[in-house]
Amino acid sequence: MAAQATGAAAAKAPPTSKSDDQEMLISGCEAIAHACRLADIDVVTAYPIRPYDTVMQMVSKMIADGDLDAEYIVAESEHSQFEIVKHASAVGARVFAGSSGVGWFYAFEALAVTAGLRLPVVAMVGNRALDDPGAFGTEHNDALAVRDLGWMLTWVETAQEAMDNALIAFRVAEDPHVFLPCAVSVDGAFLTHSQHLVKVPSREKVNQFLKPYNRGNKLLHPDNPITIAPQVNEDWLIEIRKQNDEAMKRARGVIAEAYKDFNRIFGRNYSPFLEEYMTDDADVVLVGQGTLAMPVKVTVRKLREQGKKVGFVRLKWFRPFPTEEIQQSLKRFKAVGVIDRDYSFGSPYSGGVLYTEIRSALYDLPNRPLLHGFICGLGGREVTIEGVTEMSEILLKSAKSGKLEKQVAWIGVRE
Amino acid sequence: MSTTAVEVIYRGIFQRTMAKHITRGIVLAARKEGKVGIAFGRYGDSPERNGIPAKQFAIVAANDEELQGSIAKYEPTEVDVTIAVDDALCKGVESWAWYGLQPVNKLLKENGTLIVTSTKSAEELIPHIHKKDVAYNLAIIKGKASFSGLWVYKNDHTDMRMLGALPRVAPHLFGSPALEAAIREEWKDDLKVASAEKSFERVQIRKVKPDEGSPEIPFSFTMPGWKSMEEGLVVRAIPLGGHFEGYDGGYRPERNPYFKKFTTRTMRPVVDFAKCTKCTLCWLQCPDSCFDVTPDGYYDANMEACCGCGVCEAVCPVDKCVTMVNETQFEDNKSQWEMWTKDKNGYAGWLAKKIEHRPERSHGFHHRGQYEGEKIEQID
Amino acid sequence: MTAQANALEIQKLDAFKGVKKVTIEEYFTSGHRTCQGCESALVMKLMVKASGPRTIVLGSTGCMYVANTTYYTTPWVVPWMHTQLGSSGSAALGTAAGLKVLMRKGKMKKEPINVIAFCGDGGGVDMGLSAISATLMHPQYNLLILCYDNESYANTDIQVSGASPWGANTTFSPPGKKYRIMHTRWKKNVAGMLAAGHPGCRYVATVCASYALDMMNKVRKALSIGGPTFIHSFDPCPKGWDYDPMYSHELGELAIEAGIFPLYEVEDMKLKFYGKTKKIVEGRLKRKPVRDYLLRQGRFAHFTDEDTDYFQKKTDEMWEKWILPGVIPLRPEDGA
Repeated sequence: MAAQATGAAAAKAPPTSKSDDQEMLISGCEAIAHACRLADIDVVTAYPIRPYDTVMQMVSKMIADGDLDAEYIVAESEHSQFEIVKHASAVGARVFAGSSGVGWFYAFEALAVTAGLRLPVVAMVGNRALDDPGAFGTEHNDALAVRDLGWMLTWVETAQEAMDNALIAFRVAEDPHVFLPCAVSVDGAFLTHSQHLVKVPSREKVNQFLKPYNRGNKLLHPDNPITIAPQVNEDWLIEIRKQNDEAMKRARGVIAEAYKDFNRIFGRNYSPFLEEYMTDDADVVLVGQGTLAMPVKVTVRKLREQGKKVGFVRLKWFRPFPTEEIQQSLKRFKAVGVIDRDYSFGSPYSGGVLYTEIRSALYDLPNRPLLHGFICGLGGREVTIEGVTEMSEILLKSAKSGKLEKQVAWIGVRE
Repeated sequence: MSTTAVEVIYRGIFQRTMAKHITRGIVLAARKEGKVGIAFGRYGDSPERNGIPAKQFAIVAANDEELQGSIAKYEPTEVDVTIAVDDALCKGVESWAWYGLQPVNKLLKENGTLIVTSTKSAEELIPHIHKKDVAYNLAIIKGKASFSGLWVYKNDHTDMRMLGALPRVAPHLFGSPALEAAIREEWKDDLKVASAEKSFERVQIRKVKPDEGSPEIPFSFTMPGWKSMEEGLVVRAIPLGGHFEGYDGGYRPERNPYFKKFTTRTMRPVVDFAKCTKCTLCWLQCPDSCFDVTPDGYYDANMEACCGCGVCEAVCPVDKCVTMVNETQFEDNKSQWEMWTKDKNGYAGWLAKKIEHRPERSHGFHHRGQYEGEKIEQID
Repeated sequence: MTAQANALEIQKLDAFKGVKKVTIEEYFTSGHRTCQGCESALVMKLMVKASGPRTIVLGSTGCMYVANTTYYTTPWVVPWMHTQLGSSGSAALGTAAGLKVLMRKGKMKKEPINVIAFCGDGGGVDMGLSAISATLMHPQYNLLILCYDNESYANTDIQVSGASPWGANTTFSPPGKKYRIMHTRWKKNVAGMLAAGHPGCRYVATVCASYALDMMNKVRKALSIGGPTFIHSFDPCPKGWDYDPMYSHELGELAIEAGIFPLYEVEDMKLKFYGKTKKIVEGRLKRKPVRDYLLRQGRFAHFTDEDTDYFQKKTDEMWEKWILPGVIPLRPEDGA
């Protein structure tokens, strides 16, 4: 089941004449800007905040150059940014916006109602630590804050995946069975601000994958007179929440289906929810999301060379949470370590968000692995080979003794 | 004793302070007898709107454990006493959307008591009140409906007189000494105590049998579940409306069937079509779009939609063309224009009789000092 | 080529020439649960009567949402959507931008559709001001933002807002034993501020529904002039102001006649007074004393003579000292 990459040997060949993909050296932000261009978005709103905002620099240039035909609005705040696209989406426009850190929080009201309204807004979150103190580095608490509201959340590992997942995000969000907003999380600095080689497909291919957004009989238009979001009382809201819940449940199947089509049309080999790396015979695995996959993969290979059976599972979708996939995967290992690039002060065992979720997902398994939580890389601090080795050793020790070594540990923090 | 529940049905805003005094007074009086209780407004009515029927409740129990069954609820499922502080509420209560028009006695237990403040007799009021399949008591406290506003309270003791009747109609709630002690402590006013005492003596109680009352079948609405409700928080808009049924002309807007607002009305406009100059002002200035445009160009206040604000009377440039008349003078919501069209002389007679009942009531604050003048009349 | 090009066609809505010419159809009917005599409900009705059926309305949180548009009991005939308290500007902008681009790209039938977003004074004068200001600077979008100002957060139970008049009793500014006056700010001059500071906006008007025909014609002008426009509507509120609902109309007139709320329109930066305000400006009508207006409302029942005098003095200043009476308070340093 594991799509085993083989390290440096897997470096991609330059584009051949067979593919009409174009290879570009672009950042994660720019990759998402290209996804917007390819998706032929209709309305896009910008407001400056690091590190997401380079996506808007690219989008605005594309519009200025005539490569993208969209209404481009520089809002006066993130709140307006997300309110504007929300309303454009209601009249049938394909929309995109984005933010980072406290900017995302400034838009929080708009984010909540967008999910409640079932509007397929696609957003990029350039993950950034929350103020105070002001800091630009990556932390996942910004995007994670909407995890209970009906936003779909995906984290990516590469600029390529940033572009691909943005296209998948439009497809899934705009599926009438779903109609939920989706945020693509891109680690600040490591992806937002570094340029990678990305295969950019043709518009024709993308058109095969992505059909036009059709709001159907929920379109706000004089030809379809409706009232959207009237005030309710306790007689209605639980039913409305239930509808949202069902839509999120349906999203799982729609995501799986979208990946199938994506792989076929674009010649990729993605598994939708999890990427497993050197897990087949692993005793212990680390689990995490985003770019920390890179140092983890490097460390896993190093430890493998030493005969240590360590693997890695990368979570690609946090919402909808792939409970069954996580259970099926993690039940095979003796010990599991969840790496959180986030915090959840006062949570059970003072663990991170991902740790708590995975712990909950594993609860029903008859044979659960020993579960560790690791908090590291906060504020954009690098996740290092030393750090990952330290985590792995803890897991190996637990696996050997059959006893939980440490419930939750902070890695790489100065005493 | 078991838990005793009292509801106060009143006109939003106009009688809010009064309703609060009544429900608080009940709990404070019961406390004097060592009982416990809570007072609360129905959350769905808040924020209240002027005139729209609203409810507050007082629940009294022997002890905290017994009271628990009545806490964290929006409204009790049945009540021992219903107090309606405006007799126009006898026609029914439509507070909030799909609940529809509900009988004023809907929550009343068998042999419970409906207390109404009114200048009318029980025989005059009962035809307005929906039939109930069990017997109950109707208690009348003589007096006009007391309306004031949000900031200036009309202190005419209506609240005390309602409280004063309770030891008569529901002696298990509390006795007169407890009530008097509570009033003295809370309001520090012997005159108020006297008002309550008088009411105890004067309240008139009559048994209402199951076959008495209005035969109207109240509105019912089956609420759809999440599978049939439209997703995306969508409801369909109201259609545009069109001609009068059976005519080529005129315009009657389509109206939302789930909330009709007419139980908000304590007065209704009566139109003298013979005087009407078709100036359009009543139609144009009506905030409830309640005037249908008749095929012959008159404006007919639709009594399903009119909430009785009186703006039409205020803006009408012709003397006594639009006259606000007490709502209790009417038995139905029929079109006045149709009545007039069929029989102009008959209508003129009907109209003359109706407009004798110009409001003795006011909808609240007119000018500073106004209530001081009115208060004496009410206390007697 | 500038990015502002391709402005859409706009609806041609000539002024109604007299009340008899007013559209007979209602696009806002019943189902709403507003107070008796609610002037803001009247504003809603007149607003869409003026705009006609090819209109989309966005409604900010406030009375005209909560009381007005309840699940299953919508009063709207035209398409309507809720927007957040501070989002009237963004809602109008997003809707107009969506329609514009979809029509340009051939994804939607080309036709002029009116976009109106409304907000109360809480949504317009306080929280949403920033988004309204931003929206008024986008000349390429045709839209109207209408602020129905009932001078308090009326929906949440009458709390003081930036548009509440000085001294008014509200649930957040109750007169007490120590302080008789808890609300010590003068009403914010929002129409004047928006008109003066937004070169992207071709039309700002103040209206009062007591003058229904004028009010509708200002809406029609705002929708047909092109670009983003703003209307500030002065709405007597029987609940929060505490008066008999039948006087809604009369209190609107009184406020105009006392010079408390001036009626004007600013079209392409040219100021035009109208109605009774025009007569006041031209000296053909003497302003009524503010006392006549204040003492009709329970919210000012705690006022002493000193308070009404202060209110009068501040109102007099608007007319006697402001460089543009009732509109712009600036005056030259050496003037006075």
